[in-house]
Amino acid sequence: MNPVDLHFQTNIAHWSWTIAAFLWFVGIAGMGSVAYYFVRKKPMAIVIFASLVLGLALVFSHLGRWWNMPMVFWTMISEGHFNFGSWMLIGIAVLSVHLVFSAILLVANLPGVLERFGWLKWTRRLDENDLFVGFFGFIGFFGTVYSGFLISQAVGIPLWNTALIPLLWVISASVATVAVLELFYVFGWVDERVSVFGIRLGLGLDAAKLLAILAFLHVSMAVGAAAGARYGAAEMVSGDLATMTWLGVIGIGILVPMAIAAFTILRGKSKPLLFISSIAALTGVFLLRAVVLLAGVWEPLVL
Amino acid sequence: MRLRKGEKPTRRMAHVWDSSRCMACGACVMACTSTNAPEMMHREEKGWGGLASNIRRIDSVTAQGRPQVTLVQCQHCENAPCVSNCPFGAVYYDEDGLVRLDPRMCAGCSYCVTSCPYNVRWFHPDTGLPEKCMGEACLELVKDGLKPACVQSCPAGARDFGDLNDPQSTVSVLLRKKRSHRLLEHTGTEPKYFVVEGS
Repeated sequence: MNPVDLHFQTNIAHWSWTIAAFLWFVGIAGMGSVAYYFVRKKPMAIVIFASLVLGLALVFSHLGRWWNMPMVFWTMISEGHFNFGSWMLIGIAVLSVHLVFSAILLVANLPGVLERFGWLKWTRRLDENDLFVGFFGFIGFFGTVYSGFLISQAVGIPLWNTALIPLLWVISASVATVAVLELFYVFGWVDERVSVFGIRLGLGLDAAKLLAILAFLHVSMAVGAAAGARYGAAEMVSGDLATMTWLGVIGIGILVPMAIAAFTILRGKSKPLLFISSIAALTGVFLLRAVVLLAGVWEPLVL
Repeated sequence: MRLRKGEKPTRRMAHVWDSSRCMACGACVMACTSTNAPEMMHREEKGWGGLASNIRRIDSVTAQGRPQVTLVQCQHCENAPCVSNCPFGAVYYDEDGLVRLDPRMCAGCSYCVTSCPYNVRWFHPDTGLPEKCMGEACLELVKDGLKPACVQSCPAGARDFGDLNDPQSTVSVLLRKKRSHRLLEHTGTEPKYFVVEGS
């Protein structure tokens, strides 16, 4: 391919590390909310809330005209311009609801706060309500799906225009959530049953994630794919981003946790190894988002 | 005036670039910047590298080794992804079918930039707005019944701008007479930027 008119979106739109971290936090909060239905623990509520706050703070800081937000919302509301066909607006709505719900569940998990502010005891009742917590999990799942569609609907970047991205985001966010639960086990915040289930689930999710990444690269590089998609995928496979893909995303992010999970199943648990596995998995999930963003190029108009 | 969802524009204004007449002098690029963003005349646009202009110039070489230039700008698509993806409704169609930006509603999220298949937006370093054709000064020219700066400045008469709904407009006549194509038609954006190939 003659690399004329190749422009990486990171140089122009600047969707790079900040947005990767935003997508990572949204994924952890999202699939973490699904896990919260089964593991209603204070550390999980803290992680979900903190992830949402950090993710939203990062994406807000990335706005080129953040100072104009009050005017934006005022004009939207006063003139009635709501573009609910945009995944970004859908995401803003979903993440806002998610943030409020996560704050409620966080308060419900803070006995000191409930004792001091008795009028907040209704949060405890919501935390015990399966319907509410189930809806909370659904909102979290939808938020993770949104973070995939946000990217895949950016029509200008052919590498991203695939249904595999939302799927990949959900699988990898699930991997990250299992890693968080394993960390909780290492720190003694959840019991062993959660860890045993997590190790087996994590192994399956790692395999699914590996398959989804290879499918994403294969489809993007196949004959007939847009030139921009092929160039972006080639950057990931053998270009400047290859080290991040093979060593970071697949080596550290998938193969290390898989090897440790297999070892654990065969030989028994080791907390230091589980700690390494969890950190590696979380790193891999972050790098996956970063490498997909960094590899985004526009369709060259001259070949 | 902003068109509401489902409303049709009264005119369908389109740009035409006759590549067979273009001699790649760059007058249109300079005229665009000096008219719409004169403060950028001596400042580099960091994204593309070079002069900040609503017209992007791509220099290349044909398979036969001949130098080739392609001029790209906002295509004012009739099915514009930047309009459908903008979360705040800042990007909209006006009554002329032109894709416009309402600065009051722009937060600088860049979604319109990554949504555009033609890579024709650049960020103004002072305002943070994702600029593109047509600039405010050119819109004023059109409002006064004149042609945009790029059309007026082209010494070879390789550029034109007019209403596709009017069969007697110069662009309609030209597109009937000469063979033309649109860029990245397969994306389904329905661009209104026509590249004339010759007779």
